[in-house]
Amino acid sequence: MDYFLVSLLNGLIYGLLLFMVSAGLTLIFGMMGVLNFAHASFYMLGAYFAYLLGRYIGFWPAIVCATALVGLVGVVVERYFLRKVHKYGHAHELLLTFGLSFIIAELVKLFFGNYPVDYHVPAMLSFPAFHAGPLAYPAYRLIMGAIALLMFGVIYLLLTRTRVGIIVRSAIYKPAMAEALGHNVPRVFMAVFGVGAALAGLAGAVAGAFYTTNPNMAIELGVLVFVVVVVGGLGSLEGAMLASLLIGLLTAFSVGVDYSLADLFTWLGAGDWARRMGGLFTLKLSGLSATLPYALMLLILLVRPSGLMGEKE
Amino acid sequence: MISRTIIRPLILCSVLSSLGGVASAASVKIALVETLSGPQASTGMTYRDAARYEINKLNAGGGWNGEPIKLLEYDNQGTPAGAAEKLKAAIADGAQMVIQGASSAIAGQLSEDIRKYDIRNPGKEVLYLNVGAEAMDLTGSKCHFHAFRFISNAQINVKALVAAMKAAHVLGTRVYSINQNYSWGVDMQQAIEDDAATGGYKVVGKTLHDVNKIQDFSPYVAKIAAAHPDTVITGNWSNDLLLLMKAAKSGGLKARFATTFMDQPGNLANAGSVALGAYVVHPFDAEAGGKKSEAFSADFKAKVGHYPVFVEPQTVFGLAMVGAALKKVRPENGKLNVNKLAEAIEKTKIETPMGEWSMRAADHQALLPMVVSVVSKDAKYKVDGTDMGFTPVKLLTAAEAATPAQKTCKMKRPA
Repeated sequence: MDYFLVSLLNGLIYGLLLFMVSAGLTLIFGMMGVLNFAHASFYMLGAYFAYLLGRYIGFWPAIVCATALVGLVGVVVERYFLRKVHKYGHAHELLLTFGLSFIIAELVKLFFGNYPVDYHVPAMLSFPAFHAGPLAYPAYRLIMGAIALLMFGVIYLLLTRTRVGIIVRSAIYKPAMAEALGHNVPRVFMAVFGVGAALAGLAGAVAGAFYTTNPNMAIELGVLVFVVVVVGGLGSLEGAMLASLLIGLLTAFSVGVDYSLADLFTWLGAGDWARRMGGLFTLKLSGLSATLPYALMLLILLVRPSGLMGEKE
Repeated sequence: MISRTIIRPLILCSVLSSLGGVASAASVKIALVETLSGPQASTGMTYRDAARYEINKLNAGGGWNGEPIKLLEYDNQGTPAGAAEKLKAAIADGAQMVIQGASSAIAGQLSEDIRKYDIRNPGKEVLYLNVGAEAMDLTGSKCHFHAFRFISNAQINVKALVAAMKAAHVLGTRVYSINQNYSWGVDMQQAIEDDAATGGYKVVGKTLHDVNKIQDFSPYVAKIAAAHPDTVITGNWSNDLLLLMKAAKSGGLKARFATTFMDQPGNLANAGSVALGAYVVHPFDAEAGGKKSEAFSADFKAKVGHYPVFVEPQTVFGLAMVGAALKKVRPENGKLNVNKLAEAIEKTKIETPMGEWSMRAADHQALLPMVVSVVSKDAKYKVDGTDMGFTPVKLLTAAEAATPAQKTCKMKRPA
């Protein structure tokens, strides 16, 4: 029972973290149609900024400042880079963000070195929240989950309940009409890109302390974030939330399942045959845990190409 | 007039360069085919630093046949395909030895390519010097006369860890094995199972997980905790090791960690107090060899800029063995006979700061001393700018650490 509860919580909180990063990506795609390859780089920048600032102004102020700084970087990228290539079509925008991700990774290596940096959870926050069997549950994980939930609430209310949200949604839906009604659509795009980047930066600043802050963290998370967005439906915030939680729970629970296809065949009476065949038949589910999200993506693309909550097509 | 002033120096140049070509035909070229760009570049660069250090040292001692040994550097871009491509370039550039260490997958490619090249090009053989790839197959079913491994393997590592930790009464009777799901991790898991009887422990759980894909190790820690182990043995490296240990610490897991790659630069800085008390097995510890190892460390630091860590010592000692073997080989028509060198390496014994290194002729696995250390604040040499370092627990001689040659190795020697 303890194991079940801990795994449930582990999965939920990892899912919430994935949501924090993918929320910005899906927002930006929904609005501008740009699949931002540099998005995970913003996540990495958030962690490094927070690490750098944390040494001077303390942990929490550093997280706030890092988020704002990454947002600013996002605004600059949109205003001075993406907008210039916008007229050449999506392929150019894609290539631009792709190149940007390499440049950011190399810059980080240039300034902070090739190895992980010493960015960790401050001592006052690294205490167990509760005990479950032999394990203690770190309070910081709960804080990460709470921050993600808070973020989801704020964005959701902002988009659905405020005037700003109405303008943003109309600029997504019919940009030409919104512009004709006197709204500055390019500025809306810039703001959304900035906010999306800031969200990734916040996720990096919070998670970088708990996991590791190293020059490869963008690559490690980047692919998974795309999986979340595809599974959830490109452009859908609720879909991203659902997909993140699904993937988090899937990975957390599959780790504990030491069964293989051969065991299924045993049940059907052909277990020995399957074990003799080896290969895929004897591969344990627990060993595939990190690959399962990709299998899920494949399934979704086959069954429902628009994603769980996607609207387009 | 103008044409003459240009042509004369040109002729002079070409004459001089052809002379130079004749003179340098005898110099031995060693090609470093390592990952020098991309996410894993940091490891490739440590191999390069160490190789440069030892080659400079060999050249200061006279090189070979009165000529300095040349180190050519190629970037394999982290893939076996890239390595195969660069191997062709290296051979075309006249390299007679190839040195590489990071990644067993790349090592497998290089070793096989070199084996085939050597069969097809008798008289122009190339040697493969493996200074870091630890997959068992490389000295097992894939072993061949022109490949040498100058580093331990999973069997040696686990044997040393278990022996040292058992002697220090810190191993316990319940061991959990968690490793990465590829050749290296599978080898480690096998070794952990094989040593259960001699170590007097029971393997209470085994996990193989995806390599460098997992951000969140807490589900794995929950699984480990459910098995109540005394010690967790892992061959994980880089992020997979750091994230596992951090998750274990924040989850309050009360088990000791026995590792093979805790000494990778940046690990202690990033893990912080999480690392304290973790055991590591490695081929070198600056404190373990007394004055000799301290002198080596100081010299390395003076020339490279930091104390030798991680994969650097083995690269230095491996090349030192090659250098010692080169001294025994006379040039034939001004050139190096690679087969003679291979035979000389088999007979070479060198005294390193850790003790004697030699090469086993049966499978070309180096017999090397191993050190088991523990991360503590009492260490003489602090690492990564932290207040922690590695304190040696036990130094095993080459004979104590050695495991028998694998039966799968059927080496064909040149007639």
